[in-house]
Amino acid sequence: MAGGEIRGGYMGKLLRVNLSTGETWDEPLDLERATMYIGGSAMGGRILLDEVPPGVGPFDEENRLMFLSGPFSGTSVPGSGTYTVVTKGPLTNQAATAQSNGWFGARIKAAGYDGIIIQGIAPNWVYLVVNDGVVEIRDASDVLGRDTQETQTYLMETLGLPKASVACIGAAGETMVLYANISSDFAHFASTNGIGAVMGSKKLKAIVIKGSKPIPVADPEGMRKLGLEDLRKVGEIDKKTGWSIQGTTGVLAWCNEVAALPVHNMRKTHHPEAWKIDGERLNNARVATYGCPNCTMRCGITILDYEGRESELDYENIGMLGSNLDIFELDQVASLNYLCDDYGLDTISAGAVLAFYADAIEQGAIKGDFRFGDAEMAKKLLGMAARREGEIGNLLADGSLRMARKIGHNSEAYAMQVKGLEISAYNCKFIPGMALAFGTSPIGAHHKESWVITFELKQTARDSYGPEKAAKVIELQRIRGGLFEFIVACRFPWIELGWDLEHYAEYFNKTTGLNWTLNDFWKVADRIYALMKFFWVREFPFWDRTRDYPPMVWFDPNNADTEGPIAGKVLELDKYNQLLDYYYEQRGWDKRGIPTRKTAEALDLKKEAAEVEKFTKLE
Amino acid sequence: MSGMNIRITVKLIGPFVNQLGFSEKTMEFPAEATVESVLSSLPLDPKRPRIVTRNGQAVAPGEKLNDGDRLAVSPLYSGG
Repeated sequence: MAGGEIRGGYMGKLLRVNLSTGETWDEPLDLERATMYIGGSAMGGRILLDEVPPGVGPFDEENRLMFLSGPFSGTSVPGSGTYTVVTKGPLTNQAATAQSNGWFGARIKAAGYDGIIIQGIAPNWVYLVVNDGVVEIRDASDVLGRDTQETQTYLMETLGLPKASVACIGAAGETMVLYANISSDFAHFASTNGIGAVMGSKKLKAIVIKGSKPIPVADPEGMRKLGLEDLRKVGEIDKKTGWSIQGTTGVLAWCNEVAALPVHNMRKTHHPEAWKIDGERLNNARVATYGCPNCTMRCGITILDYEGRESELDYENIGMLGSNLDIFELDQVASLNYLCDDYGLDTISAGAVLAFYADAIEQGAIKGDFRFGDAEMAKKLLGMAARREGEIGNLLADGSLRMARKIGHNSEAYAMQVKGLEISAYNCKFIPGMALAFGTSPIGAHHKESWVITFELKQTARDSYGPEKAAKVIELQRIRGGLFEFIVACRFPWIELGWDLEHYAEYFNKTTGLNWTLNDFWKVADRIYALMKFFWVREFPFWDRTRDYPPMVWFDPNNADTEGPIAGKVLELDKYNQLLDYYYEQRGWDKRGIPTRKTAEALDLKKEAAEVEKFTKLE
Repeated sequence: MSGMNIRITVKLIGPFVNQLGFSEKTMEFPAEATVESVLSSLPLDPKRPRIVTRNGQAVAPGEKLNDGDRLAVSPLYSGG
């Protein structure tokens, strides 16, 4: 790794807030740590490991809720208004990281900070105002009960801060639904693993942030020129390729073709009516397009929902709230999406929870009135979950794994989650590499860590469980779960437009004054993956590889498609174990899936390894 | 259908729909048609990375097609 002194990209301090005592204070940023962990998810993961001991629950006072920027936040890098939330999340009871676009990340920096770290629990509901370094904790009784959009509008108007960003929770965060999210800049959500429930547990309704401080960069002129040039180029590529015509939703038709679409709680992989909710139909129904600051690929496609409200959709929303529930009316899918956004519910988990509920009823494991395809009942159930209304609302509010454990009758086999986090919209019953990506994701199943389906279908045989697939999963984890999460920038210019990764090393060096190559980033990525595994092991000392398995139903021959491209095919457990072996070997982890002592030392984690050895012996 | 021809359904995905002006079309091709020959008959930019599947499975450019096959042509999506 190229050393040197950091000369830009950081404001040099963190804002600490203890809601139990009402204290706020500035803490100098540890720049040595910044070179080890950069920012965002990696910085947050490190702080979490240091400050949240094993046994602390997500809703305990000692849990931390961090809103973190990265070195690019607020600079001229395309898609860099982004921020990352890190906490111990309630679905996995482990580290949760969630990135959100918009302005909020840039404004953390403009307000003078690299991040905000919340601890404690307020005696009464509050919101936090950070205005150019002036910090106030205010009573939130007039904001309580307001939905996410209304909360943001109300606070900006009441405080007379039209150019502020607000991150807030809705009803679901207030009632601590285990998949509640955090909404910011109106159309953006930090969603994964109930981070909104953690915010609710701290009785923190919102954070309002505004600032005007310049963000230091080592080479201001170089950054300005590069940023302007790249914004133009990204826009040109987008226009030439036409990517934004359908945005992420183009992938729905493809998943339907290749039998990877979530249908009927992922029991099916394609559906003849899928075309009714695909990217073409969405584009035809478009009433507005939204984009992020400093970005020329405007990907937010908005349509009118069944009730006539604007609702912005992407692929995950449509896959999980549409096809996975057998709902093939686009305006009804948009309504479900609108409600999730309004209540502050993660659409991926919400769709998976409703699908699991319908499936459990269909299997006779529980009695209920909800059937696949019933959009009106789905709307009602989302409201009940968000308000934790009655027995059903409370059941749905706890996520699919806990639901399965309450329902019993072997329903855990078809609760579509890994480590407690619901699987996003890729049905991998016969896609081994993507199943491995979900299985080994340190935050629970999430496509943001690694997405290998295209590779699997283009460059290898679909039924291969070879080492090349493990290698590809690791390569993408380094980029997606690593680089973009710790530099804190939107990955879309790279993944969707083919923007060269070398640009990000160049940006990093011009921002910080360091001289890094991509290999330096990969080491940071490997370090945080090892650290996250240590975090798990510390909590679960008898860790074994079964925790890196996808849902058992994907191995069940009775669950195979009866027609179509993968008729009669499912994953094979012995081969999946072989694939896991390749993955562990390539990562330098043992057969249980735990980094070895040698690997830890190579990643500068010798002390951390010694700490983990208090819980389990490393090889 | 001509006795010498086969019928192939071409399904376009994402921006290819706008670029070529159709979403799905069944067309006749000579009996010896391959994936490559069908694709080269369409005004697709050959330099544009893409993934092609036949009946939902990956397919090599030189593979010969059968009557009734469905070819899906998609840009290389990366999963958002």
